[in-house]
Amino acid sequence: MNLWKDFNQGIVRENPVLRLMIGLCPTLAVSNNAINALGMSVAVAFVLIGSNLVIALIRKITPDEIRIPIFLIIISTFVTVCDYVMQAYTQALYQALGVFVPLIVVNCIILGRAEAFAYKNPVLNSVLDGVGMSLGFTLALGSIGVIREVLGAGSVFGIPLFDERIAATIMILPPGAFITIGCIMAFLNKMENKVL
Amino acid sequence: MGKIIKLGVTLGVFCVISAGMLAYVFMMTGPRIEANAKASFDGSLREVLPGAESFKNVAAPGAKSEIYEGYTGDKAVGLVVKVAPRGYSSEIVMLVGVDPELRVKGMKILSQRETPGLGANVEKPKFQKQFIGKGVKDTIEPKKDIDAITGATISSRAVCEGVKTVLKDSEQYRKAKP
Repeated sequence: MNLWKDFNQGIVRENPVLRLMIGLCPTLAVSNNAINALGMSVAVAFVLIGSNLVIALIRKITPDEIRIPIFLIIISTFVTVCDYVMQAYTQALYQALGVFVPLIVVNCIILGRAEAFAYKNPVLNSVLDGVGMSLGFTLALGSIGVIREVLGAGSVFGIPLFDERIAATIMILPPGAFITIGCIMAFLNKMENKVL
Repeated sequence: MGKIIKLGVTLGVFCVISAGMLAYVFMMTGPRIEANAKASFDGSLREVLPGAESFKNVAAPGAKSEIYEGYTGDKAVGLVVKVAPRGYSSEIVMLVGVDPELRVKGMKILSQRETPGLGANVEKPKFQKQFIGKGVKDTIEPKKDIDAITGATISSRAVCEGVKTVLKDSEQYRKAKP
């Protein structure tokens, strides 16, 4: 029961982007089309699950005073591994994501979950928390990406839907990200009020 | 005092383990990353100068841009020049292929960070194909000879300037070389 709760809390109830409002920087930057958004989500999922796993494993032998530097070493190791692997095997995606892959290291979702969850909970729970949070991040980023791409470029996953000249360019520019996130958050709040 | 040393050693151990892991991953992926970068650049060279089989980096006196001479067998079939004109918010790094008569044969933007939806449209074939066939004597001015991208005059002008530089440098290179 607890495991299930740890898993699904990240998806909607404590969705990192739409509820906890963390990790907004990469969200704003790479959600201008669906493919970039999904690529970023996969990279974040890899780092988040990996760092949650390792931090939960070593939490008993980590001295409290230096836990943050140790978290940072672990997280940056995973990010660099991810960076190399993407460069070697998925070059096109790597070029599209560019500077945002190294920047995962300062993504608050990862350090946030390390400090708030993985450091205090057993391995299995922490991995499930990582999976759940990654799914929540993927869902948020994916839906923002699809909405912005459709409205702003008239295509989805690069497949043209209608003439791009009637698309609203503002949606793939930074303001479009704020508008989209705001609308989705308003919608979620409305839904929750109804349920309650 | 003893505590500080203990903490320092713990931190040091973590660093060593992580450095070891990174070294291993780098050894596994390094050669592939290098090969990828080279293959993608070679592919781009071929794309802008169709027909050429091999390329040689050549130095051009007085020209700042990188010039590659393309060969089919032993025969020189044209040049590829790399330029990076300043656009609206970035340098637009591009490759332009030039045939032996010094006319543009193909072009490709390697990297740019222009405004998405406006300046970034310099990557669209519809814009780029206007340059095909232009020679060193042709005027290449946005809004006159080239339809500029709506809302992105600066980016369009940068690409025009880039192509002009390419043609000028190619001519210089040809003159210098008998």
